Amino acid sequence: MAILNSQHLRDYPARPDKVYLYGTCLADTLFPESGMDAITLLEQQGIEVLFPMGQTCCGQPAYNSGYEQEARKVALAQIKQFPLEIPIVIISGSCGGMMRHHYADLLRDEPGIEDFCNRIFEFTEFLVHVLKIKLQDKGASEKVALHTSCAARREMGVHITGRALLSQLENVTLITHENESECCGFGGTFAVKHADISAAMVADKTQSLLEADVVRYVTADNGCRMNINGSLEYQKQSLRGEHIASYLLSRVTGGTDGEPS
Amino acid sequence: MTVNIHHPAPSKHTAKAKNFRTSVERDLADEELRENFRGAMKFLSERRKSAFPDELELQTLREQCRLIKQRCLLKLPYLLEQLEDNLTRNGIQVHWAETTEEANSIIQRIISKREATRVVKGKSMVSEETELNAYLEKFGIECLEADMGEYIVQLAKEEPSHIIVPAIHKNKYQVADLFAKNIPGFEHTTDVDKLINEGRRVLRDKFKHADVGITGVNFAVAETGTLCLVENEGNGQMCTAVPNVHIAMTGIEKVVEWLDDVPPLLSLLTRSATGQAITTYFNMITKPRQPGEKDGPEEVHLVLLDNGRSQAFADEELRQTLQCIRCGACMNHCPVYKRIGGHAYGTVYPGPIGKIISPHMLGLDATKDLPTASSLCGACGEVCPVKIPIPKLLLRLRQESVKVAGPEETVMGGEGANRKTTEALIWQGWSAMHRHPALYRASMWLATRLHKFMPAKIGPWTSVRSAPHIAPKTLHELVAQRKNTRAKP
Amino acid sequence: MSTIHSERSGARGRILEKLKAQVAGADYGKLPAEPSYAYPPMSRDAALARFTECLQANHAEVIEVSAETIPLAIERELVKRNISKLICGQKGKFSGSLESYFSRSDSEGIELVKYDFPLSDNKSRLFDEAPASFTHSRCSIAATGTIVLWPSEDEPRTLSLVPPLHFVLVDTHKMVSDFATLLKSEHWGAELPANVLLISGPSKTADIQQTLAYGAHGPKELVVLLLNNNTDKE
Repeated sequence: MAILNSQHLRDYPARPDKVYLYGTCLADTLFPESGMDAITLLEQQGIEVLFPMGQTCCGQPAYNSGYEQEARKVALAQIKQFPLEIPIVIISGSCGGMMRHHYADLLRDEPGIEDFCNRIFEFTEFLVHVLKIKLQDKGASEKVALHTSCAARREMGVHITGRALLSQLENVTLITHENESECCGFGGTFAVKHADISAAMVADKTQSLLEADVVRYVTADNGCRMNINGSLEYQKQSLRGEHIASYLLSRVTGGTDGEPS
Repeated sequence: MTVNIHHPAPSKHTAKAKNFRTSVERDLADEELRENFRGAMKFLSERRKSAFPDELELQTLREQCRLIKQRCLLKLPYLLEQLEDNLTRNGIQVHWAETTEEANSIIQRIISKREATRVVKGKSMVSEETELNAYLEKFGIECLEADMGEYIVQLAKEEPSHIIVPAIHKNKYQVADLFAKNIPGFEHTTDVDKLINEGRRVLRDKFKHADVGITGVNFAVAETGTLCLVENEGNGQMCTAVPNVHIAMTGIEKVVEWLDDVPPLLSLLTRSATGQAITTYFNMITKPRQPGEKDGPEEVHLVLLDNGRSQAFADEELRQTLQCIRCGACMNHCPVYKRIGGHAYGTVYPGPIGKIISPHMLGLDATKDLPTASSLCGACGEVCPVKIPIPKLLLRLRQESVKVAGPEETVMGGEGANRKTTEALIWQGWSAMHRHPALYRASMWLATRLHKFMPAKIGPWTSVRSAPHIAPKTLHELVAQRKNTRAKP
Repeated sequence: MSTIHSERSGARGRILEKLKAQVAGADYGKLPAEPSYAYPPMSRDAALARFTECLQANHAEVIEVSAETIPLAIERELVKRNISKLICGQKGKFSGSLESYFSRSDSEGIELVKYDFPLSDNKSRLFDEAPASFTHSRCSIAATGTIVLWPSEDEPRTLSLVPPLHFVLVDTHKMVSDFATLLKSEHWGAELPANVLLISGPSKTADIQQTLAYGAHGPKELVVLLLNNNTDKE
């Protein structure tokens, strides 16, 4: 199996009693509801959720900009916030990829870093593989699309777990949009440094999503969501994306708010 | 250990790579170009997909080929010596060039010694690297491109926009117009069969009269002293079988140890590039014309070019760049390349592989915009047949380009080319804030309290997007207010 | 020449020195094991089917022949195309039977031309006066539908390349499953001829708008004569 070049393939632990939640900096200021909904969903499954108040950002923005030392210091500050030997659930595939894979390199001299990386689980990955969650769909019938961020897809396998979760929702039809696996053009500072290329990418991504004729798209990455929603709003389109934690919660509680932010 | 920094003489590529941003703007606005690339990338990526129906086979081959190339690189100097010994024994003359100027000069002298003026050239990216055509022209030597795509590009006085499909940026209407303008007696048509037939007619005459044939090399086998060429058209075969002299040129990284290394590499190369199980021709050249033979070159030469490769070699991480077998799959799957096309990069090798190899050839100062022009989506690394971790190497180049440049460059030319004092200060401030939780929380608290004052325009972000909506309360605050969840101080 | 040489050796020395400085002392005894994919074995029938299927997909024509019907099959294909001239060697296994067949008095008027001239001084004879050629082959590869030629004095490199129509004889008893197996079983690593050519179809290109066109520079048509006589084992 190792040869199958699937960074996301791994052994999973037994169901824990409690987990840490890593909220991410984007959720903190822009999409806090996705963090809260993830917590609620986990607690509904009988998992105690710990949220260390000292957490800030995984360091990816600086790391991806070439500022390794600056990123390293932030990364070190993060791992100190999660002392218990319990899973750390992250509501972003890309931050998950950073902490699960890139920390091993960035903090290679740090004792115990491998154990820390092995405790990192992306939210949908955790639901599917560790909790083996069974979802009872109480929502109305509707068509949705799934957008998986690139890092989430390639480093964390979120396209598989995202699909697995949505397929449990019996009133939800998942529509595959054109070039689904292609990048939305976010890429952190790339969107600012090479704004025109990023703009061409997000224009194509939103067009594919609009052509899919869905009521919403679901994603496990708030970065892509900020990018795609920003573009849709600018185009005065009503289609919006919702974090998968919020979406799943609304489906199992029956109240689709219909107004994703 | 001494590191020899490669400081190339400025070339037209230096200037073009520096112009990256302007070129991107120009090409993004060209609707016809965008459409040509959209169609071509869809075609090539679907072809590749259909060539690998068995995921386990694909991944086994990739791992095998990665290890083959890494072994060959680890033995590189010794394999080059072995290759030279065996080629010499076989009667093939070997030349070494550190720079593009040296390579061109060696080739020109071989040609001039035979008083030859008519040269045909099969597809060779290394000859693009050295700008050989222009060099030979100064000596009154005509060097005609014989690959159909290269021929089109040469007629248009352009450069290849893709390493496998050089004229990928043109559609058949544009090719028809080009032929009409440049080929006397061409009867205007947009029928591709007829267009190719026209190219065949012109080029056949050139093959017939050529004094010298020049080609690249796909694999140079040290064990036997054999030069392998992969192609579909037969131009490489024409260049190596018809003229009296054959000059092959290649980068030093193309050597493999054993003949047995070739089949897996060949299989991955053609399937990754165009989705073919094998190309129409696979040509293995081991000796010049032997006594009694009626064709084939009397003289065969191999020019081995460094041009910054030994600089990449000196760093274990960056050395992986040299695993490349030039299949072009990274381009075919790159969302950036797909949109801006090959010319915008300004470098000989465009796309993801170009972003990591060009800084070694041209210096990081000339290519400083390339490593950042990626969303790090990872598509290139996923399809690379020899598993070059391209996104990781882009990150490394970003680090090299923003580091504090010392009095001496330690890894490559142009270190620190992207370092800006203000940007560095911003990241230092960012780092300080994000490792002091209280400071972070206070800042986020402030940001959310000020959300109503968030400007509607924030730089380039809002040129095509609405500004993000800052939440009234942070996640930290919401968690603290919630009863069940244990917010840990 | 002396200046070329001194420059050469200078560059050579510097390049090798730079490279050796990096890998000197590397332990070549401890290289990681290289995996290889175990392709399922192919039966003779499956191999033959695969070979034919690949070639046909690549636009080659495949015609089954027996030792006796080779000249007849060639003649039929030539007549069909209104071609009256065939160039070939003289020493191959079936060269003699071609010669006697086409020199018979009641033939269809096909002229057999020998490739017995040096190319350099006779380019027109091959480029302008040879519409079709015939070669034997050394062996073939099933997995990719590939024909292996070892060009020789008798059947030079350009014989399979320049004429627009190429007939090639493939003896199915010399078919191997894949390229890797061929290299091993024939010990190619020990000694190779001046030129080896693997052909998997007629010349082609997709350089204009991804549209396939045949006969870019080499043959426009490849006709594979498949000698598949079970009783003719060697």
